[in-house]
Amino acid sequence: MTGETAPTGTTTAARSDLLSWMTTTDHKRIGILYLVTSLVYFAVAGALSIVIRTQLARPNAHIVGPHEYAQLFTLHGTAMIFLFIAPFALGLANFLIPLQIGAPDMAFPRLNATSYWLFFFGGLVVFAGAGTNEGAAAAGWTSYAPLSEIKVSTGLGQDMWIVGVFLVSVATILTAINFITTVFIYRAPGMTMWRIPIFTWEMVATSLLVFLAFPSLAADLLLLFVDRHFGGHAFDPAHGGSAVLWQHLFWFFGHPEVYVLILPYFGVVSEILPVFSRKPIFGYTGLVLSAFAIAGLSMGVWAHHMFTTGSVNNPFFSFVSFLIAVPTGVKFFNWIATMWRGSISFETPMLFTIGFLMNFLLGGVTGVMIASPPIDYQAHDSYFIVAHFHYVIGGGSLFAIFAALFFWWPKFFGVKLDEVLGRWCFWLLFIGFNVTFLPMHWMGIVGMPRRVFTYADAGALPILNLIATAGSYLMVVGVVAFVVNVIVSARRHEPVGDDPWGANSLEWATSSPPPEHNFTRLPPIRSERPVYDMRRAKGDG
Amino acid sequence: MREQTWPALATSQSHALASNWTLFLIVGSCVAVLVWGLIVFALVRYRRSATSGAPPQFSNNYPLEIAWTAIPLVLVCALFIHTYTVESRVDAVVARPDVIVHVNAYRWGWRFVYTGGPTVGGAASSPIGGNPVSAKPELVLPFGETTRIELSSDDVTHSFWVPDFLFKRDAIPGQTSGFDLQPTRTGTFLGRCAQFCGLNHALMQFTVRVVPPAEFLRWRKEIALR
Repeated sequence: MTGETAPTGTTTAARSDLLSWMTTTDHKRIGILYLVTSLVYFAVAGALSIVIRTQLARPNAHIVGPHEYAQLFTLHGTAMIFLFIAPFALGLANFLIPLQIGAPDMAFPRLNATSYWLFFFGGLVVFAGAGTNEGAAAAGWTSYAPLSEIKVSTGLGQDMWIVGVFLVSVATILTAINFITTVFIYRAPGMTMWRIPIFTWEMVATSLLVFLAFPSLAADLLLLFVDRHFGGHAFDPAHGGSAVLWQHLFWFFGHPEVYVLILPYFGVVSEILPVFSRKPIFGYTGLVLSAFAIAGLSMGVWAHHMFTTGSVNNPFFSFVSFLIAVPTGVKFFNWIATMWRGSISFETPMLFTIGFLMNFLLGGVTGVMIASPPIDYQAHDSYFIVAHFHYVIGGGSLFAIFAALFFWWPKFFGVKLDEVLGRWCFWLLFIGFNVTFLPMHWMGIVGMPRRVFTYADAGALPILNLIATAGSYLMVVGVVAFVVNVIVSARRHEPVGDDPWGANSLEWATSSPPPEHNFTRLPPIRSERPVYDMRRAKGDG
Repeated sequence: MREQTWPALATSQSHALASNWTLFLIVGSCVAVLVWGLIVFALVRYRRSATSGAPPQFSNNYPLEIAWTAIPLVLVCALFIHTYTVESRVDAVVARPDVIVHVNAYRWGWRFVYTGGPTVGGAASSPIGGNPVSAKPELVLPFGETTRIELSSDDVTHSFWVPDFLFKRDAIPGQTSGFDLQPTRTGTFLGRCAQFCGLNHALMQFTVRVVPPAEFLRWRKEIALR
């Protein structure tokens, strides 16, 4: 991230450097802006969750009141989902897609910069709500109407949440257009669709889902805004509106969104496993087809979030939800077969990938459980659900994010992260994560609802909550180990070559970090592993 | 009231629900242990060592890929059939319930309106400040008889949840949702709102007291006289 040194002194240099980052249309710089911004939101959302866990460590605690608590979990969920997990994937894809397909940039570089800044300001608007009289939005990240209507949620914070999330959703739609166009028309000669890396394929599927799902969110938000300020009654049953309509529109976006949060990271895992197993990815076709099967099915499962409303066709949505387990299983078996008879080494990116596999599997199994309405009748809106989606998004996506950071860090910045600190980071996060979220399954089954600021001093809940809080503190230490790692490796500054891991895809054929135009020359592309082919041709594959 | 360490299964419906939980827990555990086992085996057996040479570069095996698509497909179809059967039993309502109670949820309390009287319940917390009231609103149900709950909400979406019944249903403004409960255990059970409904959501609790039918009738008369 070092800028060009200006002859007039450091202040001017720093200023011009900042300006060049603010005005950049280079996909790699925009990618890094996304990554850094989303990691800042991760730190903020993580800090909020630590306050939540501290409040819940003991029964009847008074660290925060109910109104502060509602703002905490609303901002935590909103930031983690809209401002961290999804934008991190967009940042990664921004950096990687043109490199992986051998293109000089994205199809629409200025649109790309527009998307980033819409996302940036969208996030700020959501958080700025905390500075208003009644505080930030406090209706949860799902913002169910009529709770989020102006009669109940009177504060300006709720409006700022609507506007902020709307900006982010527009940004995401624009980025999806950019990704799809880039992949379809900007591939280098020889890079056929059946040779593009799995990560890029997963981003194509993700972008399609964004297209289909995000307009529904945008419409939902607009309707709510009209209800709140222009006398609309879309969600007001007293005037012919429908409270369930919000849920339909929200989850028509919300469930595909879950796959927007995980498909990119299926891609990350599919890139990393072959490198550290010294084998090609197993079942390339199966992985691509399963991505589109998941994307397609995910458009028909939204009402499994509404089994307990008594106003949807539970068996239909239950069956389609079960079906998603099949393509997800295909991916798991392909990943295992990739490692099978390989030569596996355990550098930090691989450790986090293994952590992903172990955690995500449990999230997948509980996912099939709660797709069964008779189970959901107990689990819905309880800590069982909290445990389930944290295993998917935290144990899954978050671990893949760390895998991606350790794996592509040399390509981003030209230096490797430290392996010893990396191992500390992994084990602290892995143990901390499971200590935090495993007990939550039990909490949910015995009757702890989500989004409660306190609970009674009876039965199993006090001890389970105390364990969960201890685990969350362990995760903080793991994140600190990562920050220390970034500083240590930046100070040490040992440059790496083009391809420090012995990897397969095209981004490893250029320098680390890549030049502005990406490639001075491209290797021949005759398979989905051009860099592997290049090494073999040189005789050291 | 029972300590919350494990649900008590206090209705006939909850036994059907529990059988579904058990089946899914068993199948889920088997799948998880199998897949975790395969991962750990691969990691240990195929770890790189000084003696390991260049690994074989195979990248597909169509019969195997078809098998691991088809077998899970059959498995989830079987699970769906079971789940469908259980749900039909739990959602089934009798033609003539013994007792009908209209349950009104509101911010933040519960109103229990028995058809033919009485009306009981009340606030679960003080409106502002988040303090629980001294006595939670109480729903009284006769043991062994079928009670129809007709659920609605006065303001925002709430949810009627009794963890010991393994069951909840949302109370949505503008619509009524009916379901049957047949208690199979006497005692007092905790009920609560499960859908976040604002400031005092955590305190929006009630109790369900299941009593023998004779005592239920006595209670109804006593309340009516009061």
